[in-house]
Amino acid sequence: MNRRQFLRDALLWTAGLTVAVPRLTLAEVPAAPPPSPLVVVGTGADYPQLVAMVLAAAGGMEKFVRPGARVVVKPNIGWDRSPEQGANTHPAVVRAIVEQVLAAGAGRVQIFDRTCNEARRCYTNSGIEDALKPLGKKVRVEHIDERKFIPVEVARGKAVTELSIYRDALEADCYINVPVAKHHGLSRLTLSLKNSMGVLGGNRGKLHHNLGQKLADLATVLQPTLNIIDATRMLMANGPQGGRLEDVKAADTIIASVDPVAADAYATTLFGLKPEDIESTAAAHAMGLGVMDLNRMRIERVKA
Amino acid sequence: MAGKIKKPRLVSWRRLSQGLALALFFFLFIKTDYTGSDRIEYAVNILFRLDPLLAACAMLAAKAIVALMLPALAVLVLTLLLGRFFCGWACPMGALLDLLRPLTKSRPGRTDSLYPHLPSLLLAFVLAGALFGLPVAGYLDPFSILVRGLALAVYPAFTHATTAFFTWTYQEAPAWINALSEPVYGALKATVLPLAQKYHALALLSATVLLAVFLLELTQRRFFCRNLCPLGGLLGLTARGGPFHGRGGNEDCGKCRACRSVCRMGAIDEDRRIAMERCILCLDCLDLCPRGIIAFRFGRPPVPAAPVSLSRRGLLAALAGGSLLPAFTAVRGMSKVPDPLLIRPPGALAEEAFLDRCVRCGECMKVCIGNALHPTFLEAGLAGMFSPTLIARLGYCEFNCTLCGQVCPTGAIRVLSLEDKHGWKIGHAFFDRDRCLPYAKGIPCMVCEEHCPTPEKAIRFRSVTVLDDQDRPVEVLQPYVVDSLCIGCGICENKCPLPDRPAVYVTAAGEARNPDSSLPTAWEGY
Repeated sequence: MNRRQFLRDALLWTAGLTVAVPRLTLAEVPAAPPPSPLVVVGTGADYPQLVAMVLAAAGGMEKFVRPGARVVVKPNIGWDRSPEQGANTHPAVVRAIVEQVLAAGAGRVQIFDRTCNEARRCYTNSGIEDALKPLGKKVRVEHIDERKFIPVEVARGKAVTELSIYRDALEADCYINVPVAKHHGLSRLTLSLKNSMGVLGGNRGKLHHNLGQKLADLATVLQPTLNIIDATRMLMANGPQGGRLEDVKAADTIIASVDPVAADAYATTLFGLKPEDIESTAAAHAMGLGVMDLNRMRIERVKA
Repeated sequence: MAGKIKKPRLVSWRRLSQGLALALFFFLFIKTDYTGSDRIEYAVNILFRLDPLLAACAMLAAKAIVALMLPALAVLVLTLLLGRFFCGWACPMGALLDLLRPLTKSRPGRTDSLYPHLPSLLLAFVLAGALFGLPVAGYLDPFSILVRGLALAVYPAFTHATTAFFTWTYQEAPAWINALSEPVYGALKATVLPLAQKYHALALLSATVLLAVFLLELTQRRFFCRNLCPLGGLLGLTARGGPFHGRGGNEDCGKCRACRSVCRMGAIDEDRRIAMERCILCLDCLDLCPRGIIAFRFGRPPVPAAPVSLSRRGLLAALAGGSLLPAFTAVRGMSKVPDPLLIRPPGALAEEAFLDRCVRCGECMKVCIGNALHPTFLEAGLAGMFSPTLIARLGYCEFNCTLCGQVCPTGAIRVLSLEDKHGWKIGHAFFDRDRCLPYAKGIPCMVCEEHCPTPEKAIRFRSVTVLDDQDRPVEVLQPYVVDSLCIGCGICENKCPLPDRPAVYVTAAGEARNPDSSLPTAWEGY
């Protein structure tokens, strides 16, 4: 029984048989992260080329996307801000990734985020909707459909026991997490683990107490196939929303890893911080969800 | 009659015109929304700008020509020439009443209007009120009642019911039903349904007022149009002396009163004369007249119908009411000290001028993408009911959005440039330190700061060591408001994760339109 089939069965059974709210229990994901994860760090101003080179070094998109697969690409589209303001993932990066996913033979690519500002404004002004429009019918930039949040048991959770998670994110054959690296008032930085909050339903504000551990708990049930951190521009202050170009630093960098903890740990160093300064990184590392020790990673650098 | 092509009856043209007007109205109503551009190209405000009653009120209140409302002049001129064609051929409220007529068959018999004088008296009251400072046109204007009822109640309820149904099919129904239902839902989402469900204060009251107009049809046809509508009253007065007139029946008719009994406006008297003041050119009588006597043409009628004679006493009472009541509303407590939670949309005129201009059409609330704007109940007084206020716990003012000013038909809310909007203060945020987590519990929280939209954040942190609820010292970041940066958009209050009452809330303090409410930090000495 694969995960997809399991999910379908679980949904059908819970929908049909329980009077109480159906609660999804995901199979414990046993896959231990590799002991020394590969982290690809690319730099270059030509973003499509940069994405292509980083992905090639990470093993090629074909490694992650099987032909006909249902793929979710989850950028940060949280804010009604323009690309140069650095609050959302850069549209050119998202587009280049989606193109790679299509080239690998994906059957369908969904792009969505549960936004903080009004959703249409975010989708429009982030530039992401327009950037993906020409890519054809397989690519669907979708607004969040409130009907699709399902309760998921977080068996290994230390700070949460249940989360409401977007069904399409759980059911995808391949889930590509594409955060933008930026400053955040509480968690200091928002990176791969924080980006996963964009598939959570309910009152997300309530998660901010002990946020780092909760993000790690979330990572036990939502494990991206691949994490690609967009640090082409880095919002250094007044995050996560920004708005001032003075706060944005051009870095022209992209980081990719299967291990979200490793990717976050490396990205943290770009801000002059240590991996353990970020609570979510430390918490996820402690739970064995990934590696934050820079010496234990295989860091491969490419230049576009 | 086989083989003979029947000439399309004139009423068919009238019905076609009503149908098109209604379709255009609904199209504009749906389009009164964000569509991916900061500028809104067209919206349902076009309808209000064609309304001579609201135009007259806005100009009387402003004591100036309001350019936005000048299109209404065209309707007035056409009415002078052609009579009340607007009521019969174009008014969406009238078209809806006619369309739903089969549901509200009233007992036949009574053809005369129940209160034929009332529209003119209400008109006099509303116009005098507008001039002297009692803004009540929005209570009675048919478009205000219609758009408000649809925007605040009917449309959200339709959205809710539709979404509930498709949520049920999605979650409970088997796959083969979903194969049918999901494409339908997708098509509805793409066309008539809004992106998000809206919730509104006074939803039930707005719906009730609209429903009342339809229920009154049970007493007599077009009850609202002939017994209440002050816009109809104004158009009737205009049409009174016009050159276009209906030639009614004559002695040849014998005992036939078919025209009189079919008239939905009670415009045809016992002598079968047609009063152009009331006739809305529906042309039912023309098509019905068995002998083809009735006709409409230019020129003076041989025997004009008796005009609706207003009693002098009634007219004086209406004018006196409209001009004297403002003196009483002026001395209410709220006229001196406004409700602190009365937060007007960005670009709103100063309170008195704002209320004078606002026609309570609900368009700003319809277009508000943050679901922030809601109708007031009594916060702005009885005469201010249904005017817009921001309720931050329900929705917040989106930083980069200027749509409410763009759709306001009368300029009660000015059109702001994005730059002006960014600096426009509608209110101010305050922390409730007894509730705010970092202050009250020593629990870290930053949701307000995270969402604060000003590029240089108006909510900042101080790092403080406090005792938590176990008396252990903890270091937390405590938020505070920078007075010079906060614009009062309310997103902090909206997103505050506390249940029930928020720990940060906005009031109208410091609002740009009212110098009297400036914040202490802006005072330059006494």
